[in-house]
Amino acid sequence: MGSGRISLSERWLRLLLRLYPADFREEMGDSLVEAYLDRYAKAAKPGLGLPLGGMWARALADSVRNGLGERLRPAVGWRRAGNWGRDAEVALRRLVRAPAFTLSILGTLTVGLGAFAVVFTVVDNVLIEPLPYQRPGDLYFVWRDYRAFFDLNRGWLGGPDVAALDQAGGAIAAAVGLRRDRRTLADSAAGDRDPEEVGVMLASPNLFTVLGVNPILGRGFAPNEIGPDRPPVVVLGHDLWRRRFGGDPGVIGRSLRLNGDLFTVIGVMDRDFHFVRHSSLGPPEGAEAYINFAYRLADRPAGSGAFAGLVRARPGSSAEQVTAAVGAVGRSIDREHFNSRGLTLHPVSLEQDLVAQVRPAFLLLGLSGIFLVLVLTVNLATLLLARAVRREREFAVSRALGANQAALVRATLAEAGLLGTVGAAAAVVVAIWGTRAVVALAPADLPRREAIVVDWRVAAIMLGLGALLGLVAGAAPAFWASRSTLSMMLRNTAVRGGGRGRLRRSLVVVQVALCLVLLSAGGLVARSFGALLRSRPGFDPNGVLTVRVPIGQWRYPDNASAVAFHARLGDELSALPGVLSVGAGSAIPLTAGTDQSDVVLPGAPGNTGKREHDAPLADLLQVRAGWFRALGIRMLAGRDFEPPRPGSPREAIIDRTLAAEFFPSGTATGTRIVIGQDSLLVVGVVDHARQYDLHRDGRPQVYLRDDDDTYGALYFAVRSRRPVAGLVSEVRAVLRRIDPTIAVSEVRALDGVVDDSLRQERVTAVLIAGFSLGALLLAAMGLFGVIAGSVARRRHEIAVRMALGADRNRVLRLVLREGAGLVLLGAAVAVPGIYLSGLRMRGVLVGISPFDPLTLAVAVAALALVSLAACYLPANRVGQIQPAEALREE
Amino acid sequence: MDRERSIERFLPLRPVEFNILLSLAIGDRHGYGIIQDAEARDIGDVPDVGTLYRGLRRLTDQGLIRASGRRAAAEARDERRNYFGITPLGRRVAQAEARRMLALSRAARQSGLLEAGT
Repeated sequence: MGSGRISLSERWLRLLLRLYPADFREEMGDSLVEAYLDRYAKAAKPGLGLPLGGMWARALADSVRNGLGERLRPAVGWRRAGNWGRDAEVALRRLVRAPAFTLSILGTLTVGLGAFAVVFTVVDNVLIEPLPYQRPGDLYFVWRDYRAFFDLNRGWLGGPDVAALDQAGGAIAAAVGLRRDRRTLADSAAGDRDPEEVGVMLASPNLFTVLGVNPILGRGFAPNEIGPDRPPVVVLGHDLWRRRFGGDPGVIGRSLRLNGDLFTVIGVMDRDFHFVRHSSLGPPEGAEAYINFAYRLADRPAGSGAFAGLVRARPGSSAEQVTAAVGAVGRSIDREHFNSRGLTLHPVSLEQDLVAQVRPAFLLLGLSGIFLVLVLTVNLATLLLARAVRREREFAVSRALGANQAALVRATLAEAGLLGTVGAAAAVVVAIWGTRAVVALAPADLPRREAIVVDWRVAAIMLGLGALLGLVAGAAPAFWASRSTLSMMLRNTAVRGGGRGRLRRSLVVVQVALCLVLLSAGGLVARSFGALLRSRPGFDPNGVLTVRVPIGQWRYPDNASAVAFHARLGDELSALPGVLSVGAGSAIPLTAGTDQSDVVLPGAPGNTGKREHDAPLADLLQVRAGWFRALGIRMLAGRDFEPPRPGSPREAIIDRTLAAEFFPSGTATGTRIVIGQDSLLVVGVVDHARQYDLHRDGRPQVYLRDDDDTYGALYFAVRSRRPVAGLVSEVRAVLRRIDPTIAVSEVRALDGVVDDSLRQERVTAVLIAGFSLGALLLAAMGLFGVIAGSVARRRHEIAVRMALGADRNRVLRLVLREGAGLVLLGAAVAVPGIYLSGLRMRGVLVGISPFDPLTLAVAVAALALVSLAACYLPANRVGQIQPAEALREE
Repeated sequence: MDRERSIERFLPLRPVEFNILLSLAIGDRHGYGIIQDAEARDIGDVPDVGTLYRGLRRLTDQGLIRASGRRAAAEARDERRNYFGITPLGRRVAQAEARRMLALSRAARQSGLLEAGT
């Protein structure tokens, strides 16, 4: 009876033991139960009626408390960190013991993931991040398509177009007209000292409401603040407010001067408001201050385009609906103002438009980044697998000694995961620095440039990605570890290798293929960039300093006074020591700064009688004599401008492309060119100085003599035999002496302008070149690992061969043949990849075919060379095998 | 001095740990024997069985006690039980703990919490 009760107690106590963790139960369980039973036995003796229930309850309370306590705070040291902690500890120890392996993996992860994160950050910010406006998907820019007249599908709108769009209704909720101007800002309170030129946005008063943003100080524009009687009010951008007014909240109500006119500050925009007005031809431009039009848009002449049109669609309208609504407005404009000759209007979504230029290059970069990460993962897997194979015996012995399968898998995964996480952490650091470097290199007009930083989100994604990559790459060897048994091992002693070798070899083939695709892409981009650098833009940028000299009508009200100022400035600059020539013009090459107009060359032999051909759209530049010499633009025929004499005709000079089209055989000089109402005498032909892209000609160019009707704000170009930097202070001094109220700006070397125009291409080239070199390195490492492993595994076989009389070279060839086979196979696999990437790259490359045989051959040769080296090093060890010794080992 | 610091590291002990070391300082015991000792000392804090065995495992892990093998119990149905013994380190730790307690009681006396002589 007593024993029955005890056995019942024992059963209860054993049940309670379940509350403790397994290892504690195994070690202490029996003793624990015995101690309880002893205690019950002792307690049971004196009084039989002892409440057994009470004891059981006490045991329950004890077990709950200590069982759970033991699970939370284990008594034994290694358990305290949990099993994963122990695995990590063991993995760490193992990794420290194999520094070459660890460093190679960490290195590849750091470089690979870091590069990937840089690209991801930039692409994410530029292509994916939403614009900081309300419902940015409903915003569109509208352009005139002039292609029925001449080759321009992205022309400015006329004022009536914007007014009609705003009134259109339907899918269009509202429209804003925009112009960007540069004006000289002077703080009237400071007595007009320290003038500076700032970008000013002239806009319809509903700009801020259409964007859905509010000033942080003061107010935006009222709907009636437009037209000839509008109050002169200005909203400041955040940067200007900080720079000019020290961030003073009391700025509201203060006045300032823009080009001499008084304006009252009514508001200040937020720090992250960086609205840019997209351009008909050049890059988007931002502004530091916002003012309203002093005229009604509907009153402007419809014939000349002057405004960017920003349209907000009604919520829920599709792009097609907006296109239809805009098209309808276009048709009525065409009917009313263009005799239905075929002018159309078309909308472009703000986001698409903003990134349209950089998108191809960025997509290419993104794809390259993904390729790099693929190569990285494969490499990781190869390295880990090689290591797993080397540790095969260790696995098998552990398992034979009773280590459980889960523990082995866990240990292998822990090792890989740890590597991945640590590598990713290092990569985050690389990415932060790399992103800064790329942004510094990037073109100043890169969309949302200021917002591009590695944020915590990207860092977290990278850490996760690193761990994931580690785990994925570790899965193969973990699977491996779980399978190898001692008997298998022992059976395999003689013929090690076999099936697992195939897995590793296929990994290397994949890696070689991926690497070759990246290498060929990198080679193509590099050669394309080389072609860009070699391209001849039609002018000579070396040794030229350019400076913008904005003189306003408020200081030089008539043509004579402005021209006199320009002449005096030109003379004084020419007198500076070392100066070779001085010129002045309305736009600097490669900055898309020209005006455009259609021109007619009456009587020219090239005329065809078709209006679209005979009235081409040309870039107009106004220059002073000496401009061509200063910029190194070759004079092909005729002469430079002469000073105007009373009664002499106005003069023009045309460029080589216009001359070739309209005067294919004869000479253009002495003929007439008609621009608008004016007929000008063509006195010369010059080379085509590229205004847009470094690598290709733009539209035809016509130079007008600035003296005839000055442009006002001209760029002065000073060519000297002295270093450009040394000239800056002297040029500034001259300007200050002549007129201290001029806000000189854009003082820079012309070769810097050329450099700037190449920035995006340079970033792309540098990144892709880096990617492909990284991939090459990774592939070499993978190949090295495989061949080294193969040599180690075939030691026995090789020894037998050598003992049977094979000489060293023969054996060496045998091993090298294995590597060469892998590379060839990889190259074959790469062919479709190269083809597809070539198709993708077509829009990015300049002056080179995406299937350029030379480049592809060089890529293959580079890969072959590096692979050969990677194979040769381990293969060479063959020579060190002493047959007798190697055979004795077995 | 390094050894002193290594002993300091264990202090203060939990009540159950000090109880275990007190018993094992006399001689090897099995688990229930330690409980019996604690009951005999009659100063109130008799550990629960679960608490005791966690303490035993912790002290074993720290090297203050060791399992001294299975042997027949002196009493109770002649079963073979797990015995534990104190290690030299365990003895030094127990001494240090006792000295610490003594110093504490002295301090308590000086601040009038305990009457002199108790």
